[in-house]
Amino acid sequence: MPKHLRQQLMHRLQMPESWVIFFIMGIIMMNFPFMDIFNKASTVLGFPLMFLYLFIGWAMSILVIYLFTIAVGNSDDKHRETNQP
Amino acid sequence: MKAGLVLAAFISLCYTALIFLIALYAHHRKETGRSIIANPYVYSLSIAVYCTTWTFYGSVGRAATIGIDFVLIYLGPTLTAFSWFFVLRRIVRISKENNITSIADFISLRYGKSLWLGALVTLIAILGIMPYIALQIKAVSTSFYLISGFRGESIHLPRGGAEVTLPSGLLLAVILSVFSVIFGARRLVSSERHEGLIAAVAFESLVKLVSLLGVGLFVTYQLFDGFSDIFTRFHKMQPELFARLFTLGSAVNDPDYISSFSMLFMSMGAIMLLPRQFHVMVIENSDESHITKAMWLFPAYLFLINLFVMPIALGGILATGSAVGADFFVINIPLVSGHDGIAMLAFLGGLSAAAGMVMVEAVAISTMLLNHIFMPVIVRFTPQAWFPLLLINLKRLGIFLVIFLGYFYYRIVGDTFMLVNMGLISFSAATQFLPAMLGGLYWRRGNKAGAITGILLGSLTWFYTLLLPSFIRSGWIGADLLASGPFGIGLLKPTALFGLSGMDLWSHSLFWSMLFNIGGYITCSILLRQDEREYDQLRKFTGMFDLSRGYRHAETKRLSKPVTITQFVNLMSKFIGETEARGAIFAYIGDREIDAVGNVSEFELPNLKRFTEKTLAGSVGAAAAGAIVDSFLSDMGSRMESVYDIFSNVKTSLDQSREALFVRLKASEIINRTLDLQIIMDDLLNLLLKEFKLDAVIIQLRTADGDLTVRSYQGTNRRPINQKHWFMESKPYCDMALVDRKAHFVNDTSLAAGTVALERTIGEGIVSCAHIPIFREGEPSLGIMSVFSKSIPGLFTEEFLGLLSSLAGQLAQAVTIVREMEARERERIQKEQAQLEHARVLRDMEIAQQIQMSLLPGSAPELFGIDMAGRCISAAHVGGDYYDFFQYNDHSVDLLIADVSGHSVGAALIMSEVRTLLHAQANSALNASTILQTLNNQLYEDLTRAELFITMFYAKYNSATGRLTYANAGHNQPLVRRTGESSCIRLDAEGLIMGVKKSVVFEERGIELLKGDVVLFYTDGVNEAMNPQGELFGTERICEHLGRVTHLSVTEIIDSFYTTVTEFTESDTLQDDISLVVLKIH
Repeated sequence: MPKHLRQQLMHRLQMPESWVIFFIMGIIMMNFPFMDIFNKASTVLGFPLMFLYLFIGWAMSILVIYLFTIAVGNSDDKHRETNQP
Repeated sequence: MKAGLVLAAFISLCYTALIFLIALYAHHRKETGRSIIANPYVYSLSIAVYCTTWTFYGSVGRAATIGIDFVLIYLGPTLTAFSWFFVLRRIVRISKENNITSIADFISLRYGKSLWLGALVTLIAILGIMPYIALQIKAVSTSFYLISGFRGESIHLPRGGAEVTLPSGLLLAVILSVFSVIFGARRLVSSERHEGLIAAVAFESLVKLVSLLGVGLFVTYQLFDGFSDIFTRFHKMQPELFARLFTLGSAVNDPDYISSFSMLFMSMGAIMLLPRQFHVMVIENSDESHITKAMWLFPAYLFLINLFVMPIALGGILATGSAVGADFFVINIPLVSGHDGIAMLAFLGGLSAAAGMVMVEAVAISTMLLNHIFMPVIVRFTPQAWFPLLLINLKRLGIFLVIFLGYFYYRIVGDTFMLVNMGLISFSAATQFLPAMLGGLYWRRGNKAGAITGILLGSLTWFYTLLLPSFIRSGWIGADLLASGPFGIGLLKPTALFGLSGMDLWSHSLFWSMLFNIGGYITCSILLRQDEREYDQLRKFTGMFDLSRGYRHAETKRLSKPVTITQFVNLMSKFIGETEARGAIFAYIGDREIDAVGNVSEFELPNLKRFTEKTLAGSVGAAAAGAIVDSFLSDMGSRMESVYDIFSNVKTSLDQSREALFVRLKASEIINRTLDLQIIMDDLLNLLLKEFKLDAVIIQLRTADGDLTVRSYQGTNRRPINQKHWFMESKPYCDMALVDRKAHFVNDTSLAAGTVALERTIGEGIVSCAHIPIFREGEPSLGIMSVFSKSIPGLFTEEFLGLLSSLAGQLAQAVTIVREMEARERERIQKEQAQLEHARVLRDMEIAQQIQMSLLPGSAPELFGIDMAGRCISAAHVGGDYYDFFQYNDHSVDLLIADVSGHSVGAALIMSEVRTLLHAQANSALNASTILQTLNNQLYEDLTRAELFITMFYAKYNSATGRLTYANAGHNQPLVRRTGESSCIRLDAEGLIMGVKKSVVFEERGIELLKGDVVLFYTDGVNEAMNPQGELFGTERICEHLGRVTHLSVTEIIDSFYTTVTEFTESDTLQDDISLVVLKIH
C-alpha cells in the first residue's frame, strides 16, 4: 500500500499542473495576506513566529522541489527511449 | 588583536594562488577531456555565485537594521527554481543550438538579431551592474581594513625613502581585473565554457558557505547557547527591536508588504536575468540534466547560507550593543571576541564571494560589450588578418572597463548606502529584461519594436528613479532635483514620480519602470508587425518543442549568388582565426555531399550560411554575426532572398504538400488515360504550365539513333524549333542531364551566362530554367523535359525539382510502355504479312502444280495388244518428274520418263520446256538416241544456267514387231518382268545425264517383248524410298513386287506400287515424287 501510494504521488508530481500549483502557492504564501498571519512579534518555543514560518516554509518548498525532481527522474528512467525531451 | 597588514596580505595572496591553481587544474582536466565541473554539484555551486558579499556581509546588516525581510531575496530564487524545469531548460536548449554568448545575445537573437536591442541590453547591464560591483569592492575593502587593522582609504608602503600610496580599492579592482582576464578572456570563443573560471567560482561558493556556516556556528553555539538562547536573550534585552526585526515593515501597526513583494519579485527575476547568472546557468551549462538536480541543490545552498544570518545579526547587536556597522558583524564579532582565526575565515569567505561575482560578471559583461557595442562598429570595416587579436584585446579591455566603472561608482556613492541597498539597484535594472525575455519565450506576437520600447522606457525610468537618486544622495549631483523635482516640477520628483509617494525607493522605481516596460512592450508588439528576420527566429524560440517532434525546417530562403566554402572559411578566419575556422568547417562538412570543385549544392548553401553565422555568433554574438555575414554577402553581390513558394499557401515541407500530391495525381491521370504519347506529353506540359506558372515547357525524346528531337513544346510565344531558336542554347544542360541522369537547373540565368552562353534565352526573358532527364531507374535516359520561367528566379527548390523528376519518371514509364506496344504491333504486322506471302506462294504453287499435272498426259493412248498407264504423284507441290506418250499410228508409240533434279519451280519449268521440245519432235521418225541427243543439245544451255540436270529414259515400241528400242540418259533402268522368269530384265543403255555435256552420244538398244511381259518405268522416288530403319526400297523389292502383281491390270499395278511404297515408308507423305509408267503386253 505505501508503495502504491508512493507511485500515485510520483505520478501526480510528474504533471506540469502540479508544478504550477506549487509555484503559485509559493508566491501566495510569500505575500499579503498570508504573510499577515505570521507578521506578529510573538514567539513559539522561543523562536520568533516569522522566522519559523519563513524557514520552515522554505525547507518545505525545497523538499517539494526535491520530490519533483525525483518524480521527473523516475519518468526519465522509465521512458528514456520513447520520451526523449 | 588584529592580524597585521602583512599577514592579511599574505593569507589573501596564498588564497588567491590556491584559487588560481584550482582553475588551472580544471582547465588542464578539460584539455585532457576529463572535466571536473561537468556534474550537477559543481553546476549548483556555480549558480551560487548569486550569493555575493551582499549575502555574506549585507544580509546580516539588513537583518540587524531592517529585519527578516532579507530572506525574501533568497526565497524568490527558490520559487523561481520551480520553473527551471520548463523555462531554464528551454533557454539552455535554445542557447546551445544558437551558440548564444550572453543574455544580450539571447534577447537580440529572439527579436531578429537586432543590433540595437543587443546594444541597449548591454548598456543597461553595464549601468545596472555598476552599483553591484561597487558593492563588492566596498565590502572587500572594508573587510580588509577590519582584518588588517588599517583604517583609511589607502595603504602606505615605505619604498626607497618615499612612501607609495595605494588605494586598496583600486588595488583590488586591478587584481580582480587581471584575474578575470586570465580566466575569462583567454580565448575569443565565448560560447565555449570557461572551465577554469567555473571551477574557481564553485570552489569559492564552497568556501563562502563553509565560512558563513563556521561563523554562524561559532556565534550561535560558542558565544551563545543555541538559537533559542540568542532569541530569548535578545527578546529580553530589546523587545521593541525584536518586534521590528521579526515583522515586515517598519512598525507592527504599519506592515509594509509592498516592499517585501518588490524584493521577492526582483529576486525572482534577478536569479535568471543578471548577466552573471545567465552566464553560469546557461552559457556554462554542460548538460541539460544538471538543471534538475540544481533545482533543489541551489535552494538548499541558499537555505544553509542564510540559516545563521539572523543569529549572527542578533548576536552582533548583543555583543556590540548596537546595529552600527552591522554590515560587517560577520568579521567584527569574532574580532571583538578575540577569535582572529574565525575572523580570517570570514574574511576569506567574503573575499571569495566578491571575487567570484566580479570575475563572472566582468566576463559576462565584457562579452556583451564586445559583441554588441564594439562588434557592430567593427563589422563596418573590411575584415583584416589581425582582427582576432584586436577582438580578444577589446574583450580584455571590456573586463577592465566593467570593473573600473564599478570602482568609480564605489568612489562616488560608496559610503552613503548599505550593501543590500546598492545591490537592489542592480536587481531592479536586471528586472527590466524580464518582459522581453518571458514574452520572447512564450508570446508569439512579442516583437522587436516592443522589446526595444519596453526595455528603453523601463530602464529610463529606472535610471531616473533609482540610479540618479543614488548619485544625488551621495552629494555628487545637487539635491534640488530630489527635493523639488526638475525645474521645480513636483510631479516629476524622481522618488515620487507623478506624486506617487509612500512607497520605498525600490518599490516605487519597480512599479513605474515595470509599468512603462510592460506597457511599452505589449503596446508596440500589438500595434506593429514582426519583420521577416524576427519571424524566422520565432520558430526557434517559441516552437522549440515542435522541433523535437520530428518537424523539419524547410528551406524558404536561397542565396541569389552562390558562395563557395572557401569564401566562408576566409570570412570566418578573419574573426576567429584560421585554425578555428578550418576546424569548424571540417566538422560541418563531415558527411555532407560536396561536388568536385569542393562546393556544396545550392540547397545546402543557406545551411552553410547559417552555420557560418552560428560559428561567428559563438565569438561575436548573433546580431554581429548576422551583420558580418550579411555585409559579406552584399560585397559578393549575393543576398538571401525568399524562395518562391511554388505550392502557394502551404509551406513546403519534407512531407508532400497537398498541391504536389494534386499535381502527381493529375499527371498519373493524364498518363493512364491514353496510350497516345503525343497527347500524354502535351497534356502533361500543359498541366505544368498551369500549375506552376511556367512560361515554356519542352519535351525532347531520343530517336532510335540517339539524337534528341523536340516532341512537345507548350508555352508562350512558340516558334518553330530550328538551329537559331533560343532553346538551342540550353543544349549543354540537356546533354549533361542526359548523361548523368540528374536534373540540371539555372536559378538565375544572368549568373549562369558566364559558363554557358544564354544570350538569346535571356533576351527571351527567361530568368530560370531546369532540365530534367526522363528515365526509369537503372535505365538510360529516354529524353529531357525542360521547363522555363520568365518571372521567378530561384524557382527551382529541392522539393520542386523532386516533383518534376518524379513526373519525368512517370513520363518515362509511359514512353517505355508506348514504345514497347509499338514494337509489338510492328512485329505482329510483319508476321501477318509473312503469313500472307506464304499463303500466296502456296496458292501459286498449287496453281503451278495443277498446270504441271495438266501437262502430263491425261490418259495413255489405246494401242492394240498392249495396255499402258502412267501416273505421277508429286511430293512437293510442283515437281520435276515427267512422263509422256506419243502415239504416231496404230502400232507404234513412244514412251518416256524423265526426272529433273530438284523439286523447285525451276525444275517444273524445265520439265515443261522438255515437254514442249519433245512435242515438237514427236512426229519425226527419229530413233530414241537421236531424240535424246537433240534434246540434250537443245537443253544444255538452259540446264547449265539453271544448274539443273535431267535423267530421261526414252523408248519406242512397235506393237507390230513387238520390239522396244530405247535410249537412256542416266535414268533408272526400267524393269521387264517376263512370265516364268524369277528375275527382272533391266533395260540398260549407255548414256550421260542431260545437261552435263553439250554433245553426248546415246547408245540405242532394243528388246523383243513377249506376251505377258510387264515393263515398269519408274523414277528414283520409288527405289530410294526409305523406311524408318534407314533401309531403301531398292530395285530388288520393285522387281519382287512387280512379279507378284503381273496378273493385275496396269492401273492396279500402279496403285499397288503406291500402296506398297507408302507402307514401306510407314508415312503418309512421300519423300520424293513418284512417277510410274507400266506397259503390259497381252
